[in-house]
Amino acid sequence: MIRYKKDTNNIVTLTLDMSGRSTNVINHEIAEAFVPVIAHLKEEKAKGQLRGVILTSAKKAFLAGGDLEYLYQANDPEEIFRFAEKLKGILRELESPGIPVVAAINGAALGTGFEVALACHHRIALSSSRVRLGFPEVQLGLMPGSGGIIRLMWLLGIGKSFPILTSGLRYSPSEAMQLGLVDEIADSPREMMDLAKAWLLQNKEGRRPWDRPGCSIPGGTAQDREMAHHIRQLAARLASQGHNNYPALQSILNVLAEGSKVDFDTACRIESRYYTELLRSPACKNMIKAFWFDLNFIKQGGNRPKGFGKFRPRKVGVIGAGRMGSGIAFACLDNGLEVVLKDVSKPIAERGRDYVRRKLNEMLAEGKKKPEEAEELLSRIQTTESSKDFENCDLVIEAVFENRLVKQKVTREAEEYLDEYSLLASNTVSIPITRLAEASVRPENYVGLHFFPPAEEVPLVEIVRGEQTSEETVARAFDFVRAIRKTPIVVKDDWGFYAARVQNTYILEGITMLQEGYPPALIENLGRQAGMPRGALAFADNLGLNMVLKYENQAAEHYGAKYVQHPAVAVLAKMLEDLQRQGKQRRGGFYEYPPEGEPFLWPELARHFPATQRNFDKQELSNRFLFAQVLEAVWCMQERVIHSVAAANLGSIHGWGFPAFKGGVIQFITDYGVDDFIRQCKTYQKLHGQRFRVPRELKMFVEQ
Amino acid sequence: MPEAYIYDSLRTPRGRGKSRGALYEVKPMDLLAAAVRALRQRTALPPEELDDAVIGCVTPIGDQGYNIAKAALLHAGWGNSVSGMQVNRYCASGLEAINLAAMKVRSGWEELVLAGGVESMSRIPIGSDGGPLMYDPELITRANSIPQGVSADLIATLEGFSREELDACAYHSHQRARHAWENGYFNRSIIPIYDRNGLLILDKDEHIRPNTTLDALSKLPPAFASAGWEGFDEMALHAFPELEGIRHLHTAGNSSGIVDGAALALVGSKEKGEALGLKPRARILAAATVSVDPTLMLTGPAPAARKALKQAGMKSGDVDLWECNEAFASVVLKFRREMEVDDAIINVNGGAIAMGHPLGATGAMLLGTLLDEMERQDKATGLVTLCVGGGMGVATVIERV
Repeated sequence: MIRYKKDTNNIVTLTLDMSGRSTNVINHEIAEAFVPVIAHLKEEKAKGQLRGVILTSAKKAFLAGGDLEYLYQANDPEEIFRFAEKLKGILRELESPGIPVVAAINGAALGTGFEVALACHHRIALSSSRVRLGFPEVQLGLMPGSGGIIRLMWLLGIGKSFPILTSGLRYSPSEAMQLGLVDEIADSPREMMDLAKAWLLQNKEGRRPWDRPGCSIPGGTAQDREMAHHIRQLAARLASQGHNNYPALQSILNVLAEGSKVDFDTACRIESRYYTELLRSPACKNMIKAFWFDLNFIKQGGNRPKGFGKFRPRKVGVIGAGRMGSGIAFACLDNGLEVVLKDVSKPIAERGRDYVRRKLNEMLAEGKKKPEEAEELLSRIQTTESSKDFENCDLVIEAVFENRLVKQKVTREAEEYLDEYSLLASNTVSIPITRLAEASVRPENYVGLHFFPPAEEVPLVEIVRGEQTSEETVARAFDFVRAIRKTPIVVKDDWGFYAARVQNTYILEGITMLQEGYPPALIENLGRQAGMPRGALAFADNLGLNMVLKYENQAAEHYGAKYVQHPAVAVLAKMLEDLQRQGKQRRGGFYEYPPEGEPFLWPELARHFPATQRNFDKQELSNRFLFAQVLEAVWCMQERVIHSVAAANLGSIHGWGFPAFKGGVIQFITDYGVDDFIRQCKTYQKLHGQRFRVPRELKMFVEQ
Repeated sequence: MPEAYIYDSLRTPRGRGKSRGALYEVKPMDLLAAAVRALRQRTALPPEELDDAVIGCVTPIGDQGYNIAKAALLHAGWGNSVSGMQVNRYCASGLEAINLAAMKVRSGWEELVLAGGVESMSRIPIGSDGGPLMYDPELITRANSIPQGVSADLIATLEGFSREELDACAYHSHQRARHAWENGYFNRSIIPIYDRNGLLILDKDEHIRPNTTLDALSKLPPAFASAGWEGFDEMALHAFPELEGIRHLHTAGNSSGIVDGAALALVGSKEKGEALGLKPRARILAAATVSVDPTLMLTGPAPAARKALKQAGMKSGDVDLWECNEAFASVVLKFRREMEVDDAIINVNGGAIAMGHPLGATGAMLLGTLLDEMERQDKATGLVTLCVGGGMGVATVIERV
């Protein structure tokens, strides 16, 4: 567990090496193992036989974060608090003035692992692409709980700590050095150990700033007027960005503010109390479920057909240099692939290269890319007007406009130059893949890859399995999507597939509220406050009202005689036919789009849809927005449009921005309580109609 | 039950609350002590007759911390026999002090109480005492506690006030204050501030711009838009999701001025006044406080006024003259709309937009201004009210005797 080795200089090297695990994590086991080690170190020190300690790792990771199985289950406040305090106690003993300790960071030190490194008197990072440092736990709805917030605050001050603690970024050794997270960088493992020893030979007693009399937090505390004002602004920004749905970020700010006003040990205890509260919060559990368990299920190929070797795409062809095609090209380039981008003429294809260049310039300006990286990336794109250049492509993705014949024509041309092992993919939202594949000479190699705009940003890709698509093709498409580090979900070739179909119910619910007499601003604000990225009406405008209606008409067709018309359909008809408001593209929908400045709600809405509802139940309206989506997702599960809870959950978050703090559409039900959810649906069904009917298999999906 | 009477009322002029303001060089303790000395002179009151002094102060730290009431009494040479306490009801502290004095008297346990307030905003800026309602991230978020200016803009948005209406309100404040000063309406109550050698420092309100125009006011930029963009607008929408956004209409011109000043009133029972040969000027009929939505924050005056009127057994129409603190133009417009008060009988000599709002002292100043004007116009009843931070309101009803 912890290997102990002492050299002739009386320097002890403690090497973390957890048995039966590929990586070192922080759990009860390792915490227990530290206790006798520290006791022994103290004895050695008392005997004058100890100069200092080097803490390092035998694994690829120095020390990864906490044990998520434990964190997901933990619910007893007493137990959580005690364990947090125990770990803090161990780290406090390690850093108490006496024995100097150096962290020799030879692998990833993330989350709690980084907290351990911060508790050492000196930090040396190995310069290696394997070494990453930081606090990624906020992405799982967690916060540091082993003194990391307080130590970082004392080292860097509140102002500099806040973004490091809340961004979730993982820093390279050189970035960490610049930020002051480590003290030295070593070029080799040997140099790392030499530097560590040299430091220990020069420093007899490690003493942290907070253990030195007269030392204070850099940049001041929350008592200071300017810092108090800064904290107030941060609080407002957090509240406005997350609508108070993400307690981790707010807890971190609270701990910084409160912890800065008291002594180090009291501050650490305050941190433990917030940590305990947070760990028990639904948001935290939901996010661990989605971004750890569900994501791992997908990453490990949970829905990938089994028995096919791993596909390693190298060169990708893209047809269509519009926004979609260019975005797909960028995503491929950014993950090391070569891209051939084709359009009707070379100058038009060149627009795609310009798109990539613009994107890169933005990233250069933000410091997200280095000039040589951008240069290298651009060298991998080739533009063309000829399908002949698709020779040697492992995969060609068609992203031309939504017209079946055009799509079929361009893919037929491409096929000429592809061999029988290459994939042909179509990026469509509304044309069945089975239909498109009819024109193909190798329909078994034909698959749908549904990207969402902007394709370089939205992390979801739907893999649409047509009737003739082979299992191997699905597996290969899956591997491709993973290769560009996106979330693949396999869906049935049915109207709207999964994401667009479910998202549409959010839009329709908002439009229905307009018809019911709720003010449009209320609809938009409550949607966003419920955790959606945009209001339902804004979503409708973005998609185009025609498209919203088209999806619903497809639903009508699909369900036939069983279909009950959605109340939003009448509103859509009125908007489209009577009022000629089609959406953002035509610069007029539920919103107005002035040539300059921000869009605003179309003032005429008040006349056509008078706001008669003066009183509103905020909770009920929020519920309707989310329930509508959740129920549609369950129908998709029941109709086998989508095949796993994990895919449904992540698809909803990564695809159209269903609130992450709810853990996705199916986790929503678990969190709400399945029986309460069903009861509530029945009430809504009575009040609002058939669309709140509970699918038969709902309970089974939730309980599986 | 004993009745509470107002025997005297006075105030200092208001100096601009900046380092260039005339009263910046004067310690807040000196401002309050000057008022105490003046009152002593005017009433020839034996200090041992006073039971207590209640002084409002909103940012009671530093030069005005550690109980400024007792400090100023000692400084004025009255401290040996007069006790003093400091209270904080934010912007209504000065009126709250008078209301507390009235309650003390009406309880029968005390007979003569000094009450008022002081604030040196040039020396101790608002908010410099910290405090969770302003700076605790947990509470700010939970209560949707936003800057007052954004609350004022929120009220304007909800009520549909235009920038022109707000600016007109500000313009009238300056015009009325100018008219009142030119005609000596304030003379009776103003205590000029002198230095330690008897040299005059300030004898007039410094903040008024008698020559300002609607045009000049209309050119001022919104003062709270940037706070809104920082995230406070979105917090306002958490509380009022029916709004598309917040219209930022308040400027430095149609919001109250930042100034320094102090004010006092002498409150006592009928018997005590008679025994000391003091002539009562008015009777305090009712005093009320209310709590309202913390995000809107500044809508307390109307419910406070209604509560006080109910106590007094009166209706809105029974009030001859009104004072509603001009914290922001939208506060007054909203109050007038809600209470159906004619513009001709409210804030008739201008208000805090023209003359400034020395937080802890304003309530006592407004009561004095109202009383002077009731006497000048020979009116019987008056009501004074202020909006209060955190979402509160205070009101007092008086009647001449």
